[in-house]
Amino acid sequence: MSDARPAVEQVQAAYTQAIAEVRTVHGIPLLRMRKQDLPTVAHFLHTNPNLRGSLSLLWAVDHRPREARYELCYLFTLAKRKDWLLLATDLHGEEREFPSITPHLHAAKWYEREIRDLFGLIPVGHPDMRRLVRHEHWPKGSHPLKKEFPWDRVLGRVQGQYAFRKIHGEGVFEVPVGPIHAGIIEPGHFRFSVAGEPIMQLEVRHFWKHRGIEKLFEQQQLTEAVPLSERVSGDTSVGHSMTYCQAVETLLGVEVSPRARYLRTLFLELERLHNHIGDVGAICNDTAYALAHAHCGRMKEQLMQLNDRLTGSRFLRGVNCVGGVVLDLSGIQLAQVEVELNALEQDFSAIEKIVFANASLTERLENTGILTEGIAWDHAVMGVVGRASGIDRDLRRDRPFAAYDVLQPNVALYRYGDVRARMRVRLDEIHESIRLIREVRRGLPLGRLVSQPMHQPQPGAWALSAVEGWRGEILYMVMAGEEGRIHRCKVRDPSFVHWPAIQWAALGNIVPDFPLINKSFNLSYAGNDL
Amino acid sequence: MFRIINKSLKTGVVTGDHPDTEAPPELVSREAIEKAKPFRRSLTIREVDTGSCNACEMEMNALANPVYDVERFGVHIAASPRHADALVVTGPVTVNMERALKDVYKATADPKIVIALGDCAVNCGMFKGSYAVTGPVDQHIPVDVRIPGCPPRPVEILAVLAELRKDCPNSDQ
Repeated sequence: MSDARPAVEQVQAAYTQAIAEVRTVHGIPLLRMRKQDLPTVAHFLHTNPNLRGSLSLLWAVDHRPREARYELCYLFTLAKRKDWLLLATDLHGEEREFPSITPHLHAAKWYEREIRDLFGLIPVGHPDMRRLVRHEHWPKGSHPLKKEFPWDRVLGRVQGQYAFRKIHGEGVFEVPVGPIHAGIIEPGHFRFSVAGEPIMQLEVRHFWKHRGIEKLFEQQQLTEAVPLSERVSGDTSVGHSMTYCQAVETLLGVEVSPRARYLRTLFLELERLHNHIGDVGAICNDTAYALAHAHCGRMKEQLMQLNDRLTGSRFLRGVNCVGGVVLDLSGIQLAQVEVELNALEQDFSAIEKIVFANASLTERLENTGILTEGIAWDHAVMGVVGRASGIDRDLRRDRPFAAYDVLQPNVALYRYGDVRARMRVRLDEIHESIRLIREVRRGLPLGRLVSQPMHQPQPGAWALSAVEGWRGEILYMVMAGEEGRIHRCKVRDPSFVHWPAIQWAALGNIVPDFPLINKSFNLSYAGNDL
Repeated sequence: MFRIINKSLKTGVVTGDHPDTEAPPELVSREAIEKAKPFRRSLTIREVDTGSCNACEMEMNALANPVYDVERFGVHIAASPRHADALVVTGPVTVNMERALKDVYKATADPKIVIALGDCAVNCGMFKGSYAVTGPVDQHIPVDVRIPGCPPRPVEILAVLAELRKDCPNSDQ
């Protein structure tokens, strides 16, 4: 029988002694507990059939100099209720150890390694204690997000080597790829263990592009860090800046006007559109079908030029600001957008027909790079990749932001989990984006563009924000510091979740299919490495 | 088959279907133009990302689309630095990519040109001063051409490439 009580009450009833404090942070329930109880409560949230919690974000905060403590927060998305729940715990004084929840939840694996590298806190019981963000040439004891670590002291270099997982046996050999790849792509290292053609194991070794973004945020004012958020991952400029702005707006008590909300929706959908069309072309290109690639490249370019005409930036940079949007669109501009997109939709539909009439292409897509629903669920996968593997999650519907409470997007959902399914999700979303943009034009209300803040946040106040970007859920946690500065900003691009999952999708496939699988995920290296 | 031909005929030629840019900025020095002469009208580029936000990569990729079609100017993108005449470097050079950048530079055969693409490669952009950034590019390898912009538009990149090779003799001369 399903339990209708709120999630918090269920956890409280099951673990009365464990919970020290219950409160809500901007509408999200938070349970504070002793650190030793975390693994059991996390396991309960994850496995209880009435809750089905999946770990969406795990972050640490160094509260010094105000307080001598570290705080760890675990954000769960409860699949059964489309709701959020936070667990939190503190490490006081010189405490450096916390119990790992990775043995219960796969999804925590990279987060805990990241916290170890950046804060020097040790997840006791973690099955993989190798370095993640810190490459081996970083000196021992350098943990950049500790408050005493200077943001501008360039790291020295020491000797060291990363220990890849080895598979031993007759005929097994390794194929190292990267960090610099053959095409115009970002750097990352892939280590394949193969016997003959099929991949027996894939290990990704990333963080080559680590630029210290989270530390750079801490040097900025709350209201001035929007350009930095646009450069976390260039192809998701709108998604990231919008998530950042929403978090700061919650902190400052800004009520964004309906017009600004609609315009943000429009820009977010334009971004989704040009990226999805580019991806469809790139998937076709990796099956050597140059014709579709050329057509999609042409249409993507058309959209980028449209972006440029509307906003002065091909990547829609500089449209979001804290409090709303910087620039307005006239009725004439919106009419032109609609005319252009209508033509583009027809144009694109013709290409779709050509693509799916091509058996040698569809043959390559089917049953390639299957990510099963079980593995996707274990890794808390969402976004395009999740929706292709039967994970029915879309923040635009589940936790509406901007104007999605009114516009109500239809969510594409497929279950095969292969390259074809990921392409299908994109195709559906392209049409849906165009529909949403038409709706935006129809419903765009009048009003001001930028709203003023109501109050200054207390140091230590924080807010979470989430946006369904074109890849998936982008999450930001922004904590205010002294005098309007940022004390901590946790950035989570969906790529950080999907990279571990791709290691599973590649298994059993042949090496030449990996570029195709990789393209169908199309993850950001920059957004992952930060 | 007929569907494909029909589509191609209806679409027509889109090459050059983009807004023009003003005269190429003062970016290309006399020395760089001299250095580009041995390559004549053909230039093979290897792109190296040393920590960009990936917007520069998207614009480099856009150069290869039918609208800009950079191949018509004799510019090719190579898969290996061994095949390259020019390196295009993007990003502020992170601590983790520094070694790889130097290796690529060594692996590229002489004579070679290095083009720093985007604000980050030119002066580290927003990431200047970070503990994880050791750039800009000219800290580590000699840079011949700098193309600023965040990111520079494809048409601006094209203009610089044209300027760089304006004195190159044609192959039949």
